[in-house]
Amino acid sequence: MDSASMQPVLLFLQSLISGILVGGVYALIGIGLTIIFGVMRIINFAHGDIMMIGMYLTFNLFNLFGIDPFASVLICIPLMFLFGGLLQKLFVNRVLNALPQNQILLTIGLGLIMSNTVMLIYTSDYKILTTSYSSGSFKFMGISISEPLAISFIITAVITGLLYWFLMKTDMGQAIRATAQDRQAAQLMGIDVRRMSIISFGLGAALAGTAGALISPTYYIFPQIGSTFTLKAFVITVLGGMGSVIGATLGGILIGIAESLGAVYISSGWKEVLVYMIFLLVLLFKPSGLLGKSRV
Amino acid sequence: MAILELRHVSKFFGGLAANSDVSFALEEGMIKGLIGPNGAGKTTLFNCITGYYPTSRGEIFFKGNPITGLQPDRVCRLGMVRTWQKVRPLVKMSVLDNVMVGALCRTNSLSAAREIAMEQLRVVGLDPKSGFIAEGLPIGERKKLEMARVLATKPELLLLDEVMGGLNPAESEEIIQLILDIKQRGITQMVIEHDMKAIMRISDRIVVLNSGEKLAEGTPAEIVSNQEVVDAYLGESHA
Amino acid sequence: MSMISEALVILRSIKPAGLLVFLAVLISLAAFPLVVESPYAHHIMILIFLSVIMGQSWNILGGYTGQYSVGHAAYFGTGAYTTMMLMQYQQVPPWFGMFAGAATAIAMALIIGSICFRLRGPYFVLASIAAAEILRLSALNTKELTNGAEGILATDIPPLKIGSLVVTDFLTKVPFYYTALVFALLIIAVTCIVQHSKLGFYFQAIREDQDAAHSLGINLNLHKNLSLAISAAFTSLAGSFYAVYIGFIDPTTVLSMDMSVQIVLICIIGGIGTIMGPVVGSLVLVPLSEALRSNLITQGLISAGLVSEESPVGAFLKENLAHAHVLIYGILVVVVILYMPEGVLGFVRNMVRARERSNS
Repeated sequence: MDSASMQPVLLFLQSLISGILVGGVYALIGIGLTIIFGVMRIINFAHGDIMMIGMYLTFNLFNLFGIDPFASVLICIPLMFLFGGLLQKLFVNRVLNALPQNQILLTIGLGLIMSNTVMLIYTSDYKILTTSYSSGSFKFMGISISEPLAISFIITAVITGLLYWFLMKTDMGQAIRATAQDRQAAQLMGIDVRRMSIISFGLGAALAGTAGALISPTYYIFPQIGSTFTLKAFVITVLGGMGSVIGATLGGILIGIAESLGAVYISSGWKEVLVYMIFLLVLLFKPSGLLGKSRV
Repeated sequence: MAILELRHVSKFFGGLAANSDVSFALEEGMIKGLIGPNGAGKTTLFNCITGYYPTSRGEIFFKGNPITGLQPDRVCRLGMVRTWQKVRPLVKMSVLDNVMVGALCRTNSLSAAREIAMEQLRVVGLDPKSGFIAEGLPIGERKKLEMARVLATKPELLLLDEVMGGLNPAESEEIIQLILDIKQRGITQMVIEHDMKAIMRISDRIVVLNSGEKLAEGTPAEIVSNQEVVDAYLGESHA
Repeated sequence: MSMISEALVILRSIKPAGLLVFLAVLISLAAFPLVVESPYAHHIMILIFLSVIMGQSWNILGGYTGQYSVGHAAYFGTGAYTTMMLMQYQQVPPWFGMFAGAATAIAMALIIGSICFRLRGPYFVLASIAAAEILRLSALNTKELTNGAEGILATDIPPLKIGSLVVTDFLTKVPFYYTALVFALLIIAVTCIVQHSKLGFYFQAIREDQDAAHSLGINLNLHKNLSLAISAAFTSLAGSFYAVYIGFIDPTTVLSMDMSVQIVLICIIGGIGTIMGPVVGSLVLVPLSEALRSNLITQGLISAGLVSEESPVGAFLKENLAHAHVLIYGILVVVVILYMPEGVLGFVRNMVRARERSNS
């Protein structure tokens, strides 16, 4: 639909809703990053690249076996979980006590390896995953809603719900939360902190990979897509307060809305500038995040 | 004239008062002990005086001039410098370089700074280790390094935060002698210390903090016989 | 006076053998283009010099002052864009334009520094990235000024004249070679001077412990900004040089996070906080990534008989390995962080020391 001819209120609602729908996927990416940070105090600069691996996984499952991208989430989650766990065990685990800058550089290096290996295999050409519903949309009270975005939002909501349940109600979830709160105390309480670290990195990777699967019908797929999403994930987690799962959920949706409204009311070129401006302002004035209590 | 004067200094964190309405003065050339149970707000007070925390209320005067709100580097250049409860050596730099950083506060020349630094290293007895990397020093020598480093800034007032913490009796004795030597050189000192024997021995006057407030002030003899102070400490040991 | 005596102290501390080696290296570098005529060899040397300039500039801020900026593309890009825009749109020759670029980069550094230096540790890193990204997106979106995503192509460089004497017309790589060499020597000299001065002591004290440094009379903001300004000025010179030498810039090459990461890695791989670190890093990285880019490695594997050219693996490598030269950066940084946290230089130094100890 031509947005110029739309009524102002409808246009606003339309962009608000598409912002929320996109924001759901952002939230998944942000939650993954925040869990990893919470448990290990490591900022994972390879997060977007892990998401990119999820995209290519989905793309291959679709092309080789004809598996629907949304159905492939079921395969993506366990595979990406293993991948993340392996990354933690082989690499990240060894810098847990290193200087923060070395941790950052290690994950940057891992991200470079991922994106360049994928480029080696698939070249840097843009790939498109076209499904029957890729460009479909339906109308709801006069507002047009993209079909793949709506489905991915529903899946996101289900996964986020399951994740909350896991973190709040299961023993392992509680152990993870305890580790995030105070690693040493958790260790004293008999929690296997090393195992929790592997699981949380796996969880973070699974969430990022799932996000990759969910956006693959609507985004171009190329090896360098990761860094944009890594940066977005930082913005989301800082906004929500580093380590806060609820914060990252809200942060993701907030960034989705900011981008969507920014694209309509400012320009699509400047919308990301807006996001980074918000990011810097939050870092400066509310470093504990919008939800967190300020320290001094 | 008082070299340092605190007037109604308060520091709040959120709603909690770490220091409230603390006033006292420090006469030039003397050693003032600052004691109090754990969490009494001693280190917070040091942080306020040296500019690490902005005070919430009250004023601080150094050599008669207000220094409230000044940054730590300005405070140091004016002649007041502090040590850290948990020592903070510049670990990848040599012992000499550590002290030179302090000396460079008063000179732009590296060779002059090197001379000042070597002199202070001799004062604390660390000169044979001047070429060592600070990382490798044991705790006793780290404390001495920290003393040499602050002395190299040519201070008029030293704030020492538990410089004897974690030391064995022999090492503590060396530090006590060092503090008394520094006094001989006319440098005023304020000392936070948990070792009561030591603090009673070296202090000319003592201020007692409890729950962020000034509980008492007086000579060591007065403090020992002050019932309120005894109660505060007994309260701590019974808790 | 004190400056002179300091200089004397530095000079006296130089050993004759070291001085000889230094002079020999200097003379052979100066003579290199006269002896070797291959433009490709000149090109590789120019890339090494460029990499030294980039790595050494970052080293001042990251290595000595301990502020891990992962947003140095901001200054590289500022230099590149200022010089290129002045040259293409205002006919200002690049040897003037690059100083305008450095001045702009310093101004940019002061703005970015005033924001980022309020933050520490990982938050500083994130803020430095965000600042560089804002610049990249701004360059993309101000099409009327920067030509947006299409970038700027240099048509031709005006010849450098003194009076009526033409010094060079930039038709070969040789003038670029000497320019890059002089810049590289300059930044190395600046790093040496900084290291042996009060500034260097203060920078390193800030790196080791900001609060302790603050208590010893060091103005943190002033010195961090000074360090950034020096670093940014030289990074922008590297950017200006790159723009004129390659002849084309666009936001995704000169202002990207990949560029920032590359700048950091030169230093990390060589060894941070040492003068030789960025040099060693460049000597490792540039030849390796060029060998990949020009398919030398694939050809080597084929001619060594390890991989057959006809086999699918050989064909695949020949087709794709050239595109993945950045892969080597990733692998190297992971190896360095895990196995040689002091960089290649520190690793070699420790190996030599261990050998000496076992011999004695």
